[in-house]
Amino acid sequence: MKKLIVMIVAVFVVTEVAAHHFYSKFPITLKGYTGDKTNSVSYSGQIARHVLHDSLKKLAGKGDGGSNAAEIEAQMMKYFKGSKEDLDIIAPKTKGDFKIKQTTLNQISKGKNLSGKTYKGVINGWPGQMTGPEVIEFMIKKAARTKGGFDPATGYNYPQLISKFAMGAVFYNQAVDNYLDEKMAPGSKTNDMPYKDGAYYTYKEHAWDEAFGYWGAVSHGLGLSAKQNYDITKMKDMAAADQNKDGVVDLKSEYNFAHAYYASSFDKGGKTNYYNTVTQAFLDGRKIIAGAKGEKLSSSEKAALQGHIAVINANWEKVIAESVFKYAGSVYKDIVKLEENYSDKAFSTYAKHWGELKGFALALQTGKSNLGETAVKLNRLTGMGPVLMNASQVTGVDSAGNYIKEEAQSWGEFKLHMLKIQKLMVEKFGVKAKGNDMLADMSSLASKVGSSDSAEND
Amino acid sequence: MLEYIGDIFHHFVDPKKRVFLGYIALSILIAILWLVFLKKKRLKSAIFKVFDKKILLSGSAISDYKMFLINRVLMLILSPYLLTQLAVATFFYYSLLSIPLSGLISFLNDTPAIVVAILFTFVFFTFDDFTKYWVHRWMHKWPVLWALHKVHHSAETLNPITVYRTHPLEGILFSLRGAFSQGTVISTFFFIFGDKVDLVTILGVNFLVFSFHVAGSNLRHSHIDIKYWVWLEKILISPAQHQLHHSLDERHYDKNFGAALAIWDWIFGSLHHSEDIDNLKLGVEDNDFDPNSITELYLKPMKEISDIASESLSSLKSLNKIFKI
Ligand SMILES: [Zn+2]
Ligand SMILES: [Zn+2]
Repeated sequence: MKKLIVMIVAVFVVTEVAAHHFYSKFPITLKGYTGDKTNSVSYSGQIARHVLHDSLKKLAGKGDGGSNAAEIEAQMMKYFKGSKEDLDIIAPKTKGDFKIKQTTLNQISKGKNLSGKTYKGVINGWPGQMTGPEVIEFMIKKAARTKGGFDPATGYNYPQLISKFAMGAVFYNQAVDNYLDEKMAPGSKTNDMPYKDGAYYTYKEHAWDEAFGYWGAVSHGLGLSAKQNYDITKMKDMAAADQNKDGVVDLKSEYNFAHAYYASSFDKGGKTNYYNTVTQAFLDGRKIIAGAKGEKLSSSEKAALQGHIAVINANWEKVIAESVFKYAGSVYKDIVKLEENYSDKAFSTYAKHWGELKGFALALQTGKSNLGETAVKLNRLTGMGPVLMNASQVTGVDSAGNYIKEEAQSWGEFKLHMLKIQKLMVEKFGVKAKGNDMLADMSSLASKVGSSDSAEND
Repeated sequence: MLEYIGDIFHHFVDPKKRVFLGYIALSILIAILWLVFLKKKRLKSAIFKVFDKKILLSGSAISDYKMFLINRVLMLILSPYLLTQLAVATFFYYSLLSIPLSGLISFLNDTPAIVVAILFTFVFFTFDDFTKYWVHRWMHKWPVLWALHKVHHSAETLNPITVYRTHPLEGILFSLRGAFSQGTVISTFFFIFGDKVDLVTILGVNFLVFSFHVAGSNLRHSHIDIKYWVWLEKILISPAQHQLHHSLDERHYDKNFGAALAIWDWIFGSLHHSEDIDNLKLGVEDNDFDPNSITELYLKPMKEISDIASESLSSLKSLNKIFKI
């Protein structure tokens, strides 16, 4: 009997402790709510957008070189602009034992799109001076006309460009520039109001949840290792993903999307802790809002919330900067290989990495703050397109939407630009994970040599 | 505080440091062997000579020990602000990359890694030694620098800790020199050979530095005047040659600036072979300088420098007047 009590208490304590790490259950605090809901957490609309994005990326590689262009373009547009009919989830999809619960978008949330939530500013780093939604539409049209999403004539890899740019222009921008900025700022609706008429959550609760949804972390991610979080997205760790042990992965809470996934990819190297830092800040902020119990937030609560927002903004930005750093290193290595020995495969790998670099570099510029000179430098160093084998490079688009190519810088110079990008990321964003650090060998050698501060006199 | 004690301790257990106990032990052994086999002393008297109280506990030696302990505090505070060889290397690397040289050196791409490592280790050591020679020479030549370096030369007896009898400002200059020489070599090799560059080490130490220390580098600052063959003293500085560098005798002024290699002295005309002199007089000729006073050792150089500075300033002013007229 005694044993049983101990066990029950133990189980209770364990679940209770675990629950504190979960971004999944918070009480209804909205005053005057009479419905039967018991949990105020809701961000399925954001998950739907993650799924639209993953599916769009997949579709961007489905072109066959022209004959199915119109069809692919139309399909991609549905995932970008939304559709009245229910859409199939093209990615993420069940893979072996890793079974995904949902197969269509309406099983997650109805009527969502990406276009309406894409950063509206002008994208200076992309040819043509287009706004965010225009850039994606432009890329979609081009992608549909390629074979497998890759255009050898320009070196553009559209699935990578679209995906990495959209993650910034939609998720990152919406979270840090809208939900955590305007919707938490003075003058916005207060916490004693419903998010909208008929809602069961308060304005601040829901705005916060939506930002968390865009971050993309599973609700139980804080209890997992970086490797486990990473393997969830790689569909290699069903046990870590399936938190409620119902045998399927619920995309609404059991799958790491977008930047949360990238954060875990850096953290598993052991030098950083972005995933937990950002997720914890979201959880702590949510606790503050729940603690207000449906009243307006006090000034100390607002200040504490701003503290968490600052942590989220800075670390989310670093995750993107780390990605820029890493892919700049990849591009550098790819150029070295190409210089040694050209092959079509080596060239397409190079172009793919450049696409990721470019996408993340553009994403970095869709945050809350204007990066100013850093953005100008980053865009110049990255180039409008990768340097091609005939030493030309896309520099703009004409009025008909065709790319203009001009003679480019030398390969050596382009390689140097990659190193300068890495340097810029270290100086401006303080990146620490430093994947593909081109100067890592040099710094390890420097430490092997030892310091020279002994004040020895010979 | 704990960090400080650890740092002191570290100096004696880290083979990268010259006063690593292993090197000291080997130096003692070499000294005894030298005295017994070449100076034909009895073992007992050889041991007595090596551990001579008059040398190891002289007023000069005590001030060496104090300076070592004080300097470590200062360096611990200063070191985060000092330029590192990595900073220099990174800067140089970027500069090299902006020069379109890669085509010219591409024929070196196939150099085997072991050759690159050996080459790097030699060049690194030699260039480091070369810059040490010149900085040391300037320390003697320029009055402002001599004011600092005089602290080292004010030692009247020599023991292994005398290497740390160094004014902290001189220590900073040495660290800058190290950052410059090491940073440039590291970056140049990286630019040419990429990640093939490596250091050949023993116990984690550059094997040439290791050999230098194992061969009794600690005896340079000692009273054991080990000499080499004449031909070898043109290549490597013998302990006796460095002791001569500390001599008060005018004949020995501005000789033997070398650290490990004597070739720089040989090439640039400052070589002086060791001599058979018993009881070489060491120190500096300066009557108003107490070589055993810690405050003087730290502050006197600063005063001298400010005197030199104001002197040259006033001469500059008078020059200015002349021109105005
Ligand atoms: Zn000396
Ligand atoms: Zn000297």
